[in-house]
Amino acid sequence: MMENLKAITKDELLNEGEKLLTGGAKFITAVCRDLGEQLEVTYFFSLKGGTEMYPLRYTVNKEEEVPSFSQITLATVLIENEMKEMFGLKVKDLALDFGGHLLLAQDSPVTPLLKTTGKTASKGGD
Amino acid sequence: MGLIEKSRIKSPWILHFDNSSCNGCDIEILACLTPLYDVERFGMVNMGNPKHADVLLITGPVNRRTARVLKNLYAQVPDPKIVIAVGTCASSGGVFHNCYNVLGGVDKVIPVDVYIPGCAARPEAIIDGVVLALQKLASLRGDKK
Amino acid sequence: MAARTTVPFGPQHPVLPEPIQLKITYEDEKVVEVVPAIGYGHRGIEKACELNEYTKNIYLCERICGICSYIHSVSVVEVTEKLWPVELPPRVKYLRTIWAEMSRTHSHLLWLGLLADAFGFESMFLQFWRIRERVLDLLEMTTGQRVIQSVNVVGGVRRDISPEQKKTCIETLNTVRKESEALIKVLTKDYTVKSRTIGKGVLTKEQALQLGCAGPTLRGSGVREDARLTKYDAYGELNYEPVVEEAGDSYARALVRARELFQAIDLQLEALAKLPEGEIAVRVRGNPPANEDVMRTEAPRGELFYYAKGNGTRNLERLKVRTPTFANIPSLLVMLPGCELADVPVIVLSIDPCISCTER
Ligand code: SF4
Repeated sequence: MMENLKAITKDELLNEGEKLLTGGAKFITAVCRDLGEQLEVTYFFSLKGGTEMYPLRYTVNKEEEVPSFSQITLATVLIENEMKEMFGLKVKDLALDFGGHLLLAQDSPVTPLLKTTGKTASKGGD
Repeated sequence: MGLIEKSRIKSPWILHFDNSSCNGCDIEILACLTPLYDVERFGMVNMGNPKHADVLLITGPVNRRTARVLKNLYAQVPDPKIVIAVGTCASSGGVFHNCYNVLGGVDKVIPVDVYIPGCAARPEAIIDGVVLALQKLASLRGDKK
Repeated sequence: MAARTTVPFGPQHPVLPEPIQLKITYEDEKVVEVVPAIGYGHRGIEKACELNEYTKNIYLCERICGICSYIHSVSVVEVTEKLWPVELPPRVKYLRTIWAEMSRTHSHLLWLGLLADAFGFESMFLQFWRIRERVLDLLEMTTGQRVIQSVNVVGGVRRDISPEQKKTCIETLNTVRKESEALIKVLTKDYTVKSRTIGKGVLTKEQALQLGCAGPTLRGSGVREDARLTKYDAYGELNYEPVVEEAGDSYARALVRARELFQAIDLQLEALAKLPEGEIAVRVRGNPPANEDVMRTEAPRGELFYYAKGNGTRNLERLKVRTPTFANIPSLLVMLPGCELADVPVIVLSIDPCISCTER
């Protein structure tokens, strides 16, 4: 069970996150999950010397565009690039855009972490 | 046996390259250089420059991005050269065999002369493997291979 | 205006045992811009964790990084245990703490060695690594392996520390402390070291928080934050207070690690002394239930974050790993600009980058 989980919409993300940051919180990371038709994105913040955690969660359709938190802090730039390339999450206005090649090489499978990019793509070797 | 051949066997220069390993084997290779194991007693010296090297020590499975770098490095090492795959994952892909970005062992990309198994390969095993490689190197001549 | 040059730093560079590339733009000798390019070590472990049975994830996650492998295995088993949740016997908690601190000791010794090497103090590098071998011997004696321990399972641990081993551990740890004290004194008092680290790569407290840094990089900037404060494992019962330095430069980060080295030894000795009797594993039945949870542990390089979601089958629905270096890379974007070309390697080293962690 996760403490303090708060459901938001994608448009509230920047406001809510900024409020936490001005309250002295630190961004930990974001986690994306494939729900089939939709993607679930959770941003984790920590407060009080790391002893408390505040996750913010929104769910979007796969083709929807979502705002980038990197406008507020560079801390999220790597993870947002990663979500973009691993899940095809359409993050717009990234402060630093790696163009889908942060981790993946030219000939790697695309959006490998989606459930549909299933077993075949994951078979290394040949 | 000419002077160059002799010195190549008495003092092989090593180039270490890390593909996408977990570091376990890299650290063990470094540990080989430290006083407890001390490979320098076999004349081995770690080099940063591929054109100086005789022996390529490779750790980690080949992934889609390092395959090109590895081929490149291999081409730069002058003949005769020996390639050693250190660790299970460099030998066969090991625990990473079903990761999507991993192509497999080093031998998917370049020919390998000596395989050192172990995850992580122990420093003793690495030294053994390098000594084995030297025996092979002794039988190779600059013009062949 | 002076001409600008862009130079790639890496992927194969002598101070970095691992491949990372920084595209650095210089104006004469000064760095003006840095763009990190990673991905040389990407394997795709998160996906493989969804395809493997949950019990196999331990062995895979340990191999995310060979230096902090123990902490990775603690995190992955504990996040999985939290899904049920499993109540752990007290002895397991202590054993995990002891091994975790042991791996912190060897990791910090390793880093101090690399730092000495970056200054060109080769014999000191070898000395640190010689001491480190003692810690590895302890790990081998108690867990059976030097670097990848594979000693955790969901529900407990697979080996115990016997009374004789406990005695050897205590003796060796005291030797390690004595020997490292002598070396660290040199390293922290030496003029060359000071002139190359003090005031170099400064990260203020505000920047460190803003950029979401972790571990010694964060604590070196005066922030009292440490995942061990969440009191997982036995940390709640041990005498523990995070090491914090105020200056925020490379020197402060080195000091944090040096002091943490001794603290880790103290924690091990304390935990060994308090080690409760009892079971070393409990039986866990069935598959991980359809819950989600997170686990935050303190790896040698900073806070390690695991997120897991089960779905009632043998496979996890999702496992996410956020490693400390992933959080610390953005800090290079503010530390490096303004410094000189010759200082780049030391500053990069000062965040203790672990690339195979970052890219998984
Ligand atoms: S063989 Fe094992 S220890 Fe060595 S690099 Fe591969 S995974 Fe790591």
